[in-house]
Amino acid sequence: MISVADLLINNRVPGNFFAPDVYVRGDLEVGLLENRQGDRLLAIPETLIQAIYSGLATETGQAASLVLFNCGKWWGKSFYTRFSEQVGGYYSQPIANLPMVEFLQALQECWMAHGWGKIALDQSYQQQGFLIVKGWNSAFARLAPRKNQPVCHLEAGVLSAFFSQLTGKDLHCIQTSCESMGADCNRFLLGIAPRLAPVEAMAATQDHDAIMSQLCP
Amino acid sequence: MLMPVPMPSRLMIFLAYLISLLLSIFLLCVLKIMHPQIASVFDEAENRYLKPDEIKLIGQYVASMPERLDTYRNLRDREPEIMQAVVDQLEAEFPQESEENLERCLKNALLMLRYCGLSLLVNDETIVQHRFLDWVKPLSQAYETKAVDSKLYRLLNQQLSKALSPKQMGYLSPSLSLAQDGLLSQTAKR
Repeated sequence: MISVADLLINNRVPGNFFAPDVYVRGDLEVGLLENRQGDRLLAIPETLIQAIYSGLATETGQAASLVLFNCGKWWGKSFYTRFSEQVGGYYSQPIANLPMVEFLQALQECWMAHGWGKIALDQSYQQQGFLIVKGWNSAFARLAPRKNQPVCHLEAGVLSAFFSQLTGKDLHCIQTSCESMGADCNRFLLGIAPRLAPVEAMAATQDHDAIMSQLCP
Repeated sequence: MLMPVPMPSRLMIFLAYLISLLLSIFLLCVLKIMHPQIASVFDEAENRYLKPDEIKLIGQYVASMPERLDTYRNLRDREPEIMQAVVDQLEAEFPQESEENLERCLKNALLMLRYCGLSLLVNDETIVQHRFLDWVKPLSQAYETKAVDSKLYRLLNQQLSKALSPKQMGYLSPSLSLAQDGLLSQTAKR
């Protein structure tokens, strides 16, 4: 027998924690953006993203992509901590106990509410030990200087740290298709570093499907 | 024994005036926040006075407020009773269905009822779309709960018709239909 009283936790029914109209709040008087818990949010103007790209290219040259990837890893680590605190607190249970469907949807909504575009998980290569994250409308792809290779190193770093924390394994992440090169979406391939090693060289010259068919023949 | 009623002092008149002034300012602020159509009307205040049909719109909303509040209160107070009746019938209809699935559908229905309640109060159906459908629709598609949902909504609507007056149902129906049709239709999320 199901009782309605038991369905409610403290008379609450949790919905979408990251609903943008509730999640993002602003105070014009003090000029601050906050999330619904009162944590500060930072709005990054396009000019700043462009300046980060060009500043890093001037200062560090070839190493710019590595710097961005490592910054992304730091960001991803804190992002995971915040995400698990927020979502765990809202659903009154640790995120490890959340059903996969709800967890992924919360992550997608969180990504979107922060203005990072849309993401989705492709689990077709899960059996072979790879996870693919697809992303659309990334500002980091749109504002990057045009190159003949994928440019979303910051997001690759974020995803690598996020999924490493989530799975408890040290996962590397390489981007295999990029909106800045005319692809339909950004694809990020996640897996353990030794297995991803051959992809580093392939990513600059081959498309996603070609890479996957060589990786998982 | 009768006590003489004291004449209102100047201070009391002033206080009453002040309170009514504050109340009307508060009502205007609430209106602006709550009702999206009215909010857009206020946004143009520096350019012109409101047109008669815009004033009518505000009048209609304010006039409907007591009824909306009654409907909301009724819904709030009778939520457990309405939902428990639905739960009991639903369990009888789907004896084979797992308790986990039924509970998930029922939680979504509770969420729907609460957002529809809010939507009727502020007369803003976009709340149902953005806070309920955008979240619940992909979940219900992933769990494939359409058969249970469809029966659940029929039972819920029956219980609501019993608990609310026809006029109250009239306020609730637009957002309720939006939520239920949106969830049962096959089209993609956004």
